[in-house]
Amino acid sequence: MTPDIVETVNVAREIAWLPWAVQYFFLIGLSYGAWLVSLPGLVFRRPGWEGISRLALLAALVCGLTAPVALLADLHQPGRFWHFYAYFTPTSWMSWGAFFIPVYLTGLILYAWLAFRPALARHADEGGKLAGLARVLAYGGHESRKALMAAALLTFVGAALVALYTGVEVMLVRARPLWHTPLLPVQFFVTALAGGLGLALVFNRALPGGGDPAATRRMAVALALTQLVALLVGVVWLVLGMSGMSPVHAQALAEVAPSANWKVSAVWAVVATVVTLALAVRRPGSGLLIGLLALHSAWMMRWTIFIGGQEVPKTGAGYYSYQLPLGPEGLMGIVGTAGLWIFLFVVLTTLLPLDRIGRAERVGA
Amino acid sequence: MKDEEPREVSASRRAFLRGIPVLTAAAAALPAPALAADGKHHWAMLVDVRKCIGCQACTVACIQENAVPEGSFRTIVSTYSVKLTDADQPAGTYMLPRLCNHCEEPPCIPVCPVGATFKREDGIVAVDGDRCVGCAYCVQACPYDARFINHATNKADKCTFCAHRVDAGLLPACVETCVGGARIFGDLNDPQGELRRRLDAAKAEVKVLKPEQGTEPRVFYIGLDERFQGKVEGQGTLWQPRKAHG
Ligand code: SF4
Ligand code: SF4
Repeated sequence: MTPDIVETVNVAREIAWLPWAVQYFFLIGLSYGAWLVSLPGLVFRRPGWEGISRLALLAALVCGLTAPVALLADLHQPGRFWHFYAYFTPTSWMSWGAFFIPVYLTGLILYAWLAFRPALARHADEGGKLAGLARVLAYGGHESRKALMAAALLTFVGAALVALYTGVEVMLVRARPLWHTPLLPVQFFVTALAGGLGLALVFNRALPGGGDPAATRRMAVALALTQLVALLVGVVWLVLGMSGMSPVHAQALAEVAPSANWKVSAVWAVVATVVTLALAVRRPGSGLLIGLLALHSAWMMRWTIFIGGQEVPKTGAGYYSYQLPLGPEGLMGIVGTAGLWIFLFVVLTTLLPLDRIGRAERVGA
Repeated sequence: MKDEEPREVSASRRAFLRGIPVLTAAAAALPAPALAADGKHHWAMLVDVRKCIGCQACTVACIQENAVPEGSFRTIVSTYSVKLTDADQPAGTYMLPRLCNHCEEPPCIPVCPVGATFKREDGIVAVDGDRCVGCAYCVQACPYDARFINHATNKADKCTFCAHRVDAGLLPACVETCVGGARIFGDLNDPQGELRRRLDAAKAEVKVLKPEQGTEPRVFYIGLDERFQGKVEGQGTLWQPRKAHG
């Protein structure tokens, strides 16, 4: 059928939040998600959680240290990042975010240091790789419960603020109906937590012997719950949109419904979530697979929201089509952050090998 | 183009010039913002869509005047082929000049994390290029796709109503070149000005783009078909000026 209106001349606006931004939202989400998984073992001392919680803490640290670099690279004037601190603008959630990130990272680094100090000292004593550096970092290697709790509190405040601002900042953009739904921050949070669990599962699987099976099962249950919540939120979103009960959801749905690409993305997301849920429930031992699936869903969700969302013209007809450029504003953004992530992972696990972190042991206290 | 004196001054241009006090050499040498910031003017534009012939002279003039990099546009005349049911020919053409609306309630301003986007006292929404970090939050927040990241400067860019020309007592380049006389620029606060008179005369027909967004645009339209007032439902253009930025 020929449409009644065909656009013959118009500008196609380029994507302005680049794949770097997707990487930032993905990594910072994984970081706070994984950090939450560190709590049962390290703060609440739930039996059987300690090893996996420490692995999750490593995940939170590696992702948390990589994320700001991706954020910086997404600025078209990265050298001016200090403007964020020189010209604080209280009306802008992004401006607040510039202050929340350091709170979270300071807490996280402190908390990780306090949690890993004893292990670092043991690593040094046993003459592991970079023992000298490990000894310096361990700084005596004492375990201080009180300090750990204080650091956990600071990190919690930072993590909550980061989770809040990363969701609200996007949700507030009324000009993009797809972003402008109150459920968006919830969806970010749920997928971030699932991704954090997923990454901890992947680390767990990398342990000699494939990790503690009991821990894997426990994590699978937690992951299943996140997938269930993700599906529920998705259903609520769809019902609100289709019934017209909520105009913002209806508008968001109307914006993407005509596009074949979007239908594929939606089906993909639902299938991935259902498969993860089913596997987590029926084969809780399949830690690596469900872990990778959860990571993939968390990334895909952000890619679809950010890049896909920017493919919807605000005034023009149809859709803009985005092709991933190979340079720094495209593929390099993804490869670059992945490279930095791997580098940090290698450095940290040289100082403190994965099996030492994942060993479910407790000293002193 | 800007160096050349146009041979014939259009009606809208003549009217505009009448409304501006003659600048003496000394006054012209004043720092430009001092002229603009006295709070007296409130610049706005009226686009009479019925008069637009879709020649894109404004698009080109803007690119020339403001050194807009290839593939980017501060203004463009969106052009649509529209099916006709009440005429012999199967389709007609609809032209819609677009630019920054210099909104009264601009969503691009509060989101800027460093206060680089601001509204001047004369109503012009501007970007402080020395402060902009190129985060593109404003690009996302503008409901009209009026903003973009300029690849030459790596900063947010958009129509400025040619503030540098207006401050010097000239018309925006697009208005100056408009072949059909479709763009009328002027001061909302000047009851005798052509803009105000035309707006008052056309009252009921005057529309803005996406009024439901509450942005209160200061670019007004006469002859705006409501099918084009928001996001246009139809087949998108296949023309993409810049597929990949090198
Ligand atoms: S049209 Fe867009 S860029 Fe211009 S003032 Fe309004 S919101 Fe800002
Ligand atoms: S791109 Fe520049 S003007 Fe726009 S929000 Fe960011 S800092 Fe402000």
